[in-house]
Amino acid sequence: MSYGFFYRPKGVFLQTLHPSAALVYLGVLFLLTLFFTHPLYLLAIFLALGLVAWAAEALDAWETCLKVGLGMVVLIMLINPLAVRAGTSIIWSGPEVPVLGRLTISLESICYGAAMGLRLLNVISVFCLYNCLVHPDRALGIFSRFAPKSALIISLATRMLPTLARELSEIKEAQQTRGVDFGSGSWRERLKRYSTIFNVLLFTSMEGSLQVAEAMHARALGSGPRTCYQREPFRPRDAICLFAGGGALAAALCAKYTGAGDYHYYPQLGQLFSGFTDLIFLAAVLAGVLAPVVLSWGWQKCSSLRSKI
Amino acid sequence: MFLFKVENLTYYYPESERPALNNINLTVKEGEFLLVIGGSGSGKSSLARALAGLVPDFYGGKFGGKVFFNSHDLRKMDRRNLGKEIGIVFQDPEKQLVMLSVEAEIAFGLENLGLPPEDMLRRVAEVMGFLNLTPVKSEFTTNLSGGQKQKLALAAILAMQPRVLILDEPTSQLDPMSAEELLNLVKRLNEEMGYTIILIEQRLERCFHLADRILVMENGRIVKEGPAEEVARWEVENSLPFVPPVARFFASLQQPRLPLTIKEGRQALGRYFSVSGPQGGHQPSRQTLPNLLRKPVKKKKVLLEPEPASQLKDVWFTYPNGREALRGINLSVKKSEFVVVLGENAAGKSTLLKQMAGLLQPGRGSVVVAGKDTRKISSRELAREVGYLAQNPNNYLFCDTVEQELLFTLNNLGLSCEDRAVEILLERLDIARYRKVNPRDLSSGERQRVALAAVLVARPKILLLDEPTRGLDYRLKNELGLLLRELAQEGLSVVLVTHDVEFCAEHAARVIIMFDGRIIADGPPEEILNGSLFYSPQMNRLFKGYAQGVLTVQDGIRALALNGDFPYVVQA
Repeated sequence: MSYGFFYRPKGVFLQTLHPSAALVYLGVLFLLTLFFTHPLYLLAIFLALGLVAWAAEALDAWETCLKVGLGMVVLIMLINPLAVRAGTSIIWSGPEVPVLGRLTISLESICYGAAMGLRLLNVISVFCLYNCLVHPDRALGIFSRFAPKSALIISLATRMLPTLARELSEIKEAQQTRGVDFGSGSWRERLKRYSTIFNVLLFTSMEGSLQVAEAMHARALGSGPRTCYQREPFRPRDAICLFAGGGALAAALCAKYTGAGDYHYYPQLGQLFSGFTDLIFLAAVLAGVLAPVVLSWGWQKCSSLRSKI
Repeated sequence: MFLFKVENLTYYYPESERPALNNINLTVKEGEFLLVIGGSGSGKSSLARALAGLVPDFYGGKFGGKVFFNSHDLRKMDRRNLGKEIGIVFQDPEKQLVMLSVEAEIAFGLENLGLPPEDMLRRVAEVMGFLNLTPVKSEFTTNLSGGQKQKLALAAILAMQPRVLILDEPTSQLDPMSAEELLNLVKRLNEEMGYTIILIEQRLERCFHLADRILVMENGRIVKEGPAEEVARWEVENSLPFVPPVARFFASLQQPRLPLTIKEGRQALGRYFSVSGPQGGHQPSRQTLPNLLRKPVKKKKVLLEPEPASQLKDVWFTYPNGREALRGINLSVKKSEFVVVLGENAAGKSTLLKQMAGLLQPGRGSVVVAGKDTRKISSRELAREVGYLAQNPNNYLFCDTVEQELLFTLNNLGLSCEDRAVEILLERLDIARYRKVNPRDLSSGERQRVALAAVLVARPKILLLDEPTRGLDYRLKNELGLLLRELAQEGLSVVLVTHDVEFCAEHAARVIIMFDGRIIADGPPEEILNGSLFYSPQMNRLFKGYAQGVLTVQDGIRALALNGDFPYVVQA
């Protein structure tokens, strides 16, 4: 089991952000990915995400995520050209296929598939970085103010997962020593054997849930209105990151409004640059997105900056 | 002024015809340390729940009598006030933590009490500092050790600043070091901070002397209450097992004053060894001290040594996360041997058992069980030769009846189902009356015996048990020890992992101590436990420098008899 995807305290700058600042920053990165279809913008966001992963000391986890995502990207790049006929620059013409007609592959559809694949990689990267940067309890702490019951249920369920995995393995071992062979027989027989394990797990979990409920009851859960524990200090670094994230989003909206972030793939590939404004907007978006990374670098290198932010 | 006053309390759990608490009358003073002892199912936990207001509020059932807290009827008290005044810590730390991080866990109860944020911050900080949890404040609770989890559960309750702290067997799932640390904390809370403590505990050797008063419970009733000395004498007079070895030893000597700790005991013992006095500190000379080391039984000469039941040759094993759990283990277990494996947490004890059970394969070296290499036979074949009882007996129980659990094992292994054999085994384990009962409806001790029966029914040649004494009371532990000894005498090889040195001293024929994946000591208990710094039973520490090889109360009595200065009557 890989623990690289889960939050581990590393003492990096981005992990010290207030959870709301971290959530807003990652949320902006996510929205930017969805906003733009322009390949340059998508590529710039991808590179920015790589720098964030570097600043978060999460390059290993990011790399693993990309490897998993790359399979899906290849799939998109294969299916899109075969399914979409909107492109005019045909680079391969295949045989006639019933229902689908003649198979053709256009340059435009390949480029569009690649851009959408890049967009998918960006989305995966944002979620990977969320796992590496935000302590789930701190994130839940924010939501518990608005939806305390849901936050508690999520917390309980998340806490249960490792316990369930451990119990599952212990039950399997106990069954093995009573002669249950999980590796032999037809799939139906194996399914039956595994269902026994889940039976035991169900019984054990039901008994355990009663004990957990009792412990929560003893700690006055449901005895009246709850308050919320606020342990997160809001520092200048959080304000800067929020401001930078907001700036990037504003720049992106302007780019979208002026059409700078759009790109037409069909029927023919458009021009990468339609004007100087395209680059300005791109630079503004990147400046906002990379501000926390620059801050992180400064925080590491400059002790006076560290105490000031 | 009493903090608690219980009047004629009787309580039945829902759908139960037997009262869990039967006409309890009790008072508890502010600042008192009350220890509640008794066997499994005697009503200790029910009493704790009644005092914490969980019975009948959380469980339902029939409730009679009154429980007053600070002159207020507990049942009429607001739940929020109850949470502020009475805190309860349960047995299993896994089942009382609800949040993901340490800090959030401590704050959980405070949020429920509706405290303002500044109060919460102060309380969380104070408790973390007091219990030394600050270094792990951002840690995931699932990553903590068992001892840390239980300390966290205690911290979460302490942050609520209750006047009374009820602890229901808080050390039952912990290793001895963590248990010691927790009980020392409880002692500090009582002595230095004035908390009223109501402790239910099975590890009496660590807390018997701490209590101002001890309650003994049986069948839902309080059968005895009084100071520790009085209760110890009463226990010995009535042949009850719930008394630590040192107190049992002196109570059986009819001493006018009863020592409860090793320190007091050694002072009292000095009177009987007044001529010689303690000799040589940690390493007493064998020439000058009465030597009780049991002489090894002379073996009959045999032409061929019997094949060992299990043999490990230079076994190395590393887990996928890189932890090297076994390092060059060489071990041979003979037929009929009763081997106990001791060692601190993560010493490799459980990994060793799993290697012998074929659940793990050695990275290097070989494991041969009943003449078969575990790498070359299937787990099903191996299951016919090896019985394995894991820590949690619940992992074995899922059938509708106890009988079906046994038949499940027999069917899987393709063994014949002899009706009489099942019956004999159930009778032997004293669970025949539960043959048609759902095993999940039984007590923890009974569940363990059902799981053991489900393993033994395959008539294995070697039986492996991983911490079977955890959470068992003195009586159940002794019964288990006697049963395993009997089975060993009948030809079964038994290998048992435990932290319980007293159990080991009482029942083991051979002791192995593991450290950091290696076997660092191997031999008979008289040699291995005698004079050991940490792995020595209470009686051995008591007699250190006075007599060699004293491991049990009976050994102690023999040592005094050998000394020749024995002017008292031995009662038990």
